[in-house]
Amino acid sequence: MKSALFLLPFALVPFFANDFWLVQIFGRALILGIIALSLTFLAAYLGVVSFAQATMAGVAGYTVAYFGPNTVDVGREMPFFVVLPLAMIMATLSGAIIGLIARRSQGIYAIMITLAIGVAFFYFTRQNYNYFNGWTGFSGIRAPEIAGTSLREPLPFYLLIILVSALCLLFVNGFIKSPLGLTIQAVRDAPKRVLAIGIPTTPVIVSAYAFAGFIAGSGGILNVWYQERISSFSVGLGPIVDILVIAVIGGLKNPIGAFIGALAFVLLDTFAVDFIDRERFNTLIGLVLLAIIMGAPDGLHGLAKSWLSRFKKRPSENQV
Amino acid sequence: MPINHDHKTANALEIQGVGRRFGGFWAVKDVSLSVRPGERRAVLGPNGAGKTTLFNVLTGDLAASAGTIRMDGADVTQTPMHKRIKGGLRRTYQHAHLFDGLTVRETLFLAVSSVAGGWQRFMPLKPSDGAIGKAESLAQMSGLCSDLGREVANLSHGQRRQLEIGMALAENPKMLLLDEPAAGLSPSERPRLAELLLSLPKDITIVLIEHDMDIALRTSDSVSVLHNGRLLAEGSPENIMSNEAVHDVYMGGAHGH
Ligand SMILES: Nc1ncnc2c1ncn2[C@@H]1O[C@H](COP(=O)(O)OP(=O)(O)O)[C@@H](O)[C@H]1O
Ligand SMILES: [Mg+2]
Repeated sequence: MKSALFLLPFALVPFFANDFWLVQIFGRALILGIIALSLTFLAAYLGVVSFAQATMAGVAGYTVAYFGPNTVDVGREMPFFVVLPLAMIMATLSGAIIGLIARRSQGIYAIMITLAIGVAFFYFTRQNYNYFNGWTGFSGIRAPEIAGTSLREPLPFYLLIILVSALCLLFVNGFIKSPLGLTIQAVRDAPKRVLAIGIPTTPVIVSAYAFAGFIAGSGGILNVWYQERISSFSVGLGPIVDILVIAVIGGLKNPIGAFIGALAFVLLDTFAVDFIDRERFNTLIGLVLLAIIMGAPDGLHGLAKSWLSRFKKRPSENQV
Repeated sequence: MPINHDHKTANALEIQGVGRRFGGFWAVKDVSLSVRPGERRAVLGPNGAGKTTLFNVLTGDLAASAGTIRMDGADVTQTPMHKRIKGGLRRTYQHAHLFDGLTVRETLFLAVSSVAGGWQRFMPLKPSDGAIGKAESLAQMSGLCSDLGREVANLSHGQRRQLEIGMALAENPKMLLLDEPAAGLSPSERPRLAELLLSLPKDITIVLIEHDMDIALRTSDSVSVLHNGRLLAEGSPENIMSNEAVHDVYMGGAHGH
């Protein structure tokens, strides 16, 4: 509950920000934050760094593009109340399948296998024209109008984004306290011991990835409405690395880190051009990443936490 | 899995010719023994004798390289570990092997709901959950009731051992395999452990690996001695104490390996 309060400042943004700040900065940051949240969830609670989160988000995005209004000759339009659940199911399913493939891998091997899956999906979308329209992908994707309110309007769209962000944070924080969520953390700490208390680990790992797919899918739907297009480049190495960079900058220990990292990333991405060449952005983000990894391994969230605790008196130790 | 129920030999545990090989080295070789239901059996032997490896094979942590294992008459040699646990088998580990990021309450809750069912639920846990109540009484039994909310990573060594035992006692075990539960306990903590072992329901079959002779002999009806992976001797505690071969192994060439 408390952690969703962290999004309160984001909720105040509409009172003073113009449409540019509302959607391009804060809206985009929250969307990327949701997708990065799915990575942070797996890292913090399953102990696995997954490079396939942009892929899971992309599966939801492509589902919305294929079954929604678009300006290419691929797909079949269906009402949004069918498309949205379908997109969520597809993303969750993609998470489960990736989890099934990666279930025995940890550390560097999990990174390699999820990266391989992400890259394979990227090439698949480039080469397949029937469902993905090749490398051109889909354009002209439009967010629906619900109850007379167009989600293409900045304010309603932003309010939807912040609602979904808050729900995702609440889902994650509720889920990790559920029996299955506790089991996922037990698998992170001592997988063999989980077997030794009588729980097979494969369904546990698969459901953690599936849950991550669900979260990534919610971000993926918002992202495709925000971009109004999707193509193989949306699931390529660029977005894959962006999501990882966001999660690492924010901090992999706490779900909130994903949103902090995303805001920092979007601010840099948007305003660094004012100071440096566009082509130098990758160098800049690389240096920021390096500084974080060297100076604050728990990311901006960890940094903020340690600063805050320095201001407070001794934190009470008898919390049980 | 095939369940061959054989009523004549419904021992709690019945193993025949069991072996485990690491590369070319047999850590456990041709061990046969049987344990009656409710029996308290101590397994002794110098370091490296193969005691822990034998436990690993019994639970399914490791596959047996040879032999058959029967529990309550059913052949479980090929049965995966989590199914053996469902059947009533529990173990503790010599080197405590715990969920460091969870609290004591959450750990014991999982130990309960893994056997009783319910670990798959994904809605937030309610404090009124039945398994939470059971977890708290397990904490009571293992002397951890004032540490329920503590993170396992912050427990002392002795408390980690207590938690190991608490987890193993979840949901009416039929057979407990305890791997050096007293290891690393202070002399003042040892008698409490012996009390706890003696207070367990008499119908639980217990196989205990223990270096502390006092605890081992006080709590057991019979003793098996392993040496270099083989069964060296078997008998009552008195018999074993006066067995010359056992004395040789413990006093004499015990450092052979
Ligand atoms: N996983 C393993 N790989 C290789 N050798 C092992 C392994 N586990 C145990 N051993 C060897 O098997 C022998 C028996 O070990 P163990 O069963 O731990 O003995 P004990 O518990 O009686 O002290 C030792 O020589 C040990 O080095
Ligand atoms: Mg041992």
